[in-house]
Amino acid sequence: MELARPELVCPAGTPAALRSAVDAGADCVYVGFRDETNARNFPGLNFSRKELEEGIAYAHERGAKVLVAINTFPRAGQPERWHQAVDDAARLGADAAILADIGLIDYAARAHPELRLHLSVQAAASNPDAIRFYADTFGVRRVVLPRVLTVQEIAALNDKIRPVETEVFVFGGLCVMAEGRCALSSYATGQSPNMNGVCSPAGHVRYVEEASGGVTSQLAGFTINRFGAGEPAGYPTLCKGRFQAAGRTSYLFEEPTSLNTLAILPDLIKAGVTAFKIEGRQRGRAYVAAVVQAFRAGVDAVMAGRALPDIDLDRITEGGRQTTGAYEKAWR
Amino acid sequence: MQEGQTRPAAKPVTPPFSPVLLLGMALRPVRPALLQPVFDAMLRVIRGRHPDILERMEPFAESVVCIDPVDLPFMILFEPHPADPRLVVRRAVDPAEVSATIRGPLETLIALAEGKVDGDALFFSRQLLIEGDTEVVVALRNAIDGAGIDLVEDLTSAMGPFARPARRVAGAALDLVAHMRANVETLRQAMIAPALKDRELQAARLSELEAEVRALRKAARGQDRRSRGMA
Repeated sequence: MELARPELVCPAGTPAALRSAVDAGADCVYVGFRDETNARNFPGLNFSRKELEEGIAYAHERGAKVLVAINTFPRAGQPERWHQAVDDAARLGADAAILADIGLIDYAARAHPELRLHLSVQAAASNPDAIRFYADTFGVRRVVLPRVLTVQEIAALNDKIRPVETEVFVFGGLCVMAEGRCALSSYATGQSPNMNGVCSPAGHVRYVEEASGGVTSQLAGFTINRFGAGEPAGYPTLCKGRFQAAGRTSYLFEEPTSLNTLAILPDLIKAGVTAFKIEGRQRGRAYVAAVVQAFRAGVDAVMAGRALPDIDLDRITEGGRQTTGAYEKAWR
Repeated sequence: MQEGQTRPAAKPVTPPFSPVLLLGMALRPVRPALLQPVFDAMLRVIRGRHPDILERMEPFAESVVCIDPVDLPFMILFEPHPADPRLVVRRAVDPAEVSATIRGPLETLIALAEGKVDGDALFFSRQLLIEGDTEVVVALRNAIDGAGIDLVEDLTSAMGPFARPARRVAGAALDLVAHMRANVETLRQAMIAPALKDRELQAARLSELEAEVRALRKAARGQDRRSRGMA
C-alpha cells in the first residue's frame, strides 16, 4: 500500500518564526491572534491582524498554508471577540481555523461555510463517536488528537473515522491531561489554558536562585520544583511538580521532558495520520528552525524509503530529556 | 553603591574564558558614560527598524529590565516605554529599581537577540539566568525574537553612505573575534592542561579504589554467608 505523505504543521508565535518555519520546510504554520482567543496567549507573543495578513502572503507565495488557532472557550454571554477572530481569519485568507468550543464551531460553520475547520486538541475528542459528531454536524475536516493514545489506537481510530483526517503531536512540550478540561492552573493562578490561553502563566512564575547554585521554581508562591546545581531546569507547569513523599522524591504526573517521535515516524505514517504537529508557538525561531528542519528531513527520508536521519534535538528539549510518551506507553 | 554590588555572590552563570571576558577586563577602567552613545545609537536603530519590539512590550511600558552580560563590567537597563524608551549603561544596578534581570555571557545574549539560539533551551540548561518578573522577561524575549534582529545589518544600515564600508569593517571585526576565540581557547587549554592531567590521575585512582571496595564487599558478603551456614 502506498503511504500518504503527511503534512508538517509547525508553530509560529511571531512573524519571524513563521518565516523561519516556512523557510525550514513547513507545509503548514499554525498561529494565533494576540489575545485570549488562543491557547498560547503569552506576553509579547502572537499576531496582529496586519501581521497575519503579511504572514499568510509570505506562506502562500512559498506554497505553505497558515492555520489560525482560535482554541480557547469564549466566556459565557461574551463570544464577540471569538466571533471576530473567526471572521478575521476567514477574511484574511487563513487555510483553516483550529477551534475547540462547540458554540464557536457552530458559528464558524454557519458564518463561513467555505472555511476549513480543524478540531483543536483542546476539544479532547479521541473516540469515533465524538469525532463523527463534529464532522457530521459542523463539517469538521480534521481532528488534532490528545497526546494520550498509542500508535495502535490511532491506527484503529483512523480506520473508523475516515475521511476525517487526524493530526498528532510529534515534538515538544507534553500535556498528559484531558486537554481543554484541565483546571490545575486555575487552582494556583486563577488562569487556565481553556479560558485565558495560559497554563501556569509567566506572570505567576518566579525562579529563586540559591547560594548552592540550585534554583527553585515557584508558581503563584507554591514551590513546584527544585533543581540542583547544574541540573537541567524546567518551567514550573503545575502538573510537572516534584514532590517528596514517604521518603522518596519524584514527579507525580509528568516530568520536565519533551515529546520526540522522530524515531517512530514510520509507524505514525503507517497508522494513517494526515498531519504531524510540532508544539511550541511560545518557543523562539531558533527552536522552530531546528525542529522543523529535523522533521522535514525525517518525513522526506521515510517517504523516499531511506533510513531515518540521526538528528540530536537534546539541546532544545525541556529538562534535557526526550520521550515517545503515550505513543509507545513504554511504562506498561 | 559599591561596584558589582548587584551581582549576587551565588551567581551560577560563570563568565566563559573568551575574548569578551578579556575585553571586559580592558573596559573596567572606562566610565559607563563614555559607552552611552553606543547604546543611544542602538536605541535609535530599535525605534527605526524594529518598532514592533516596543509595540509588543506596550503592556510592560513601565517596567525596567536589567540585561547583565556577566563577562563585561557593566549592565544595561532597558525601559521599553513606547513614547520614551531608554537604553542606559550602568556600572551597578540596585535590584529594587528593576522589574527583572536577564544574566548571561555577552555572546549568548547576542545570539539570543539574533534568534540564533533558543531562549528556553538556554534557560533550561542554566546558561542563562533570569530573576524578578518572569512575565516581563518572556515578553521581551518574544518581542526581540519576533523582530528578526541582525545586529551588523541593523547597526550599519543607519550609517547611510558609509553602510557598505561599515559592513566590511564589521565582517573583518567578526573574523578577528573568531580568530581571537580560537587563540583564547588554545590559551585556556594550555592553562588547564596540568589540572586536567591531575584529574585524570585522580579518576584512575578513584576507579582503583571503587574496584577495591567492590572486591571487599563481595568478600564480606561471602564471609557473612559462610558464617550463617555454620550457625
